[in-house]
Amino acid sequence: MAIRIFIDEQEVKAEPGESVLMVARRAGFDIPALCYHEAVESIGACRLCLVEVRSGARPGISTSCNMKAEDGLRISTDSPEIRRDRATNLELLLLRAPGSPVLRELAARWGVRPRLQPPPDAGIANCILCELCVRVCAALGHNALAAVGRGEKKRVGPAFGKPAEGCVGCGACLSVCPTRCIVMKDTPAARTIWGQSFEFHRCQVCGQPVITEKHRAFAIAKRGLPEDYYDVCEPCKQSQASQRFASVVW
Amino acid sequence: MCASPASSPRPASVSPAWSGEKAPPLVVGAVERTLVVMPRRCIGCRTCELACSFAHGGPGRMARARIRVHPAGEKRFVQITCLQCENAACAKVCPVQAIARDERTRALVVSLERCVGCGLCEAACPFGHMHFDRETRRAEKCDLCGGNPACAAFCPAKALEYR
Repeated sequence: MAIRIFIDEQEVKAEPGESVLMVARRAGFDIPALCYHEAVESIGACRLCLVEVRSGARPGISTSCNMKAEDGLRISTDSPEIRRDRATNLELLLLRAPGSPVLRELAARWGVRPRLQPPPDAGIANCILCELCVRVCAALGHNALAAVGRGEKKRVGPAFGKPAEGCVGCGACLSVCPTRCIVMKDTPAARTIWGQSFEFHRCQVCGQPVITEKHRAFAIAKRGLPEDYYDVCEPCKQSQASQRFASVVW
Repeated sequence: MCASPASSPRPASVSPAWSGEKAPPLVVGAVERTLVVMPRRCIGCRTCELACSFAHGGPGRMARARIRVHPAGEKRFVQITCLQCENAACAKVCPVQAIARDERTRALVVSLERCVGCGLCEAACPFGHMHFDRETRRAEKCDLCGGNPACAAFCPAKALEYR
């Protein structure tokens, strides 16, 4: 059953328990967030999606990504206090990852002065430890990534710093990383990521890489797919399909 | 499949990715419409590819088009685009259920908010019509432009029709 929440005094429909950030974005409100992804649970790590709760027993500023929609909830998405707190949090993220382009772009937009100079070619140094890659990797069933170390030495990577057994080289961690700090290298021969090298499964027609061998084996085993499922690359499948359709049409 | 009164108002929720003045009268929801592909009429001009790549926010890069024209012999062309399969391999293989059917257009649509960019669907589509954008690192496919496909609107040979 749909409920109503009020965002900046505007009535918005939502499902109970839905993420307030998701509801607000669907209704067209622009709330910044780096570590939020619909496919995985939100943990409120980047702390940029702050909103102010104006109803209920616990009013105040809080993250919206892991706030659940309840009937009658009233929030505002913009106020001097929210802006101030978002700017402070961004400043802290910038201290951790001074070279991140996405952070520097936000800083320029919000008038935050970065205190550190960006290091050249930062790579993983641009990590803000939001653990979105860890959550996505777990959701895909690979469980190859974890937070390694504690406190100042905390990093994201394969557990114990050793090549992870579960990693299949799919690159989803890189796809979702908000600061794009994960380094993956594709050569015609292989893909390298997280200190491991993965061979490609190649198109049986043209020899181009389709998917990594390990990813292919994982998907086929997990979903019970036929062995030849990933044997042809995208352009070759297209031209095969066009030949098939042509033989029907003419 | 054409019993739609001409006076039906354009639903406010429809937001075509492109805006052209020659847009066909749009009646979505009243009848179920289909993108009809007629290779016999195709003259191989690739206007559909161009229309598609502009419609989807790109700067007209045809490599990003979600419809492709393939030569199939002497002066013969076949347009390959998503068939919006009933039992779609891309949606079945997606580990995070990011590909779902749009109830209004019946198109299978990738939720960019939900896609994690693992690339499984690209490799799974039997017709090679799931694409992977290497810049945004998300899957992309034909979404029938939300109910007003630009390829059909611009096809000069009427080899693509949305009806």
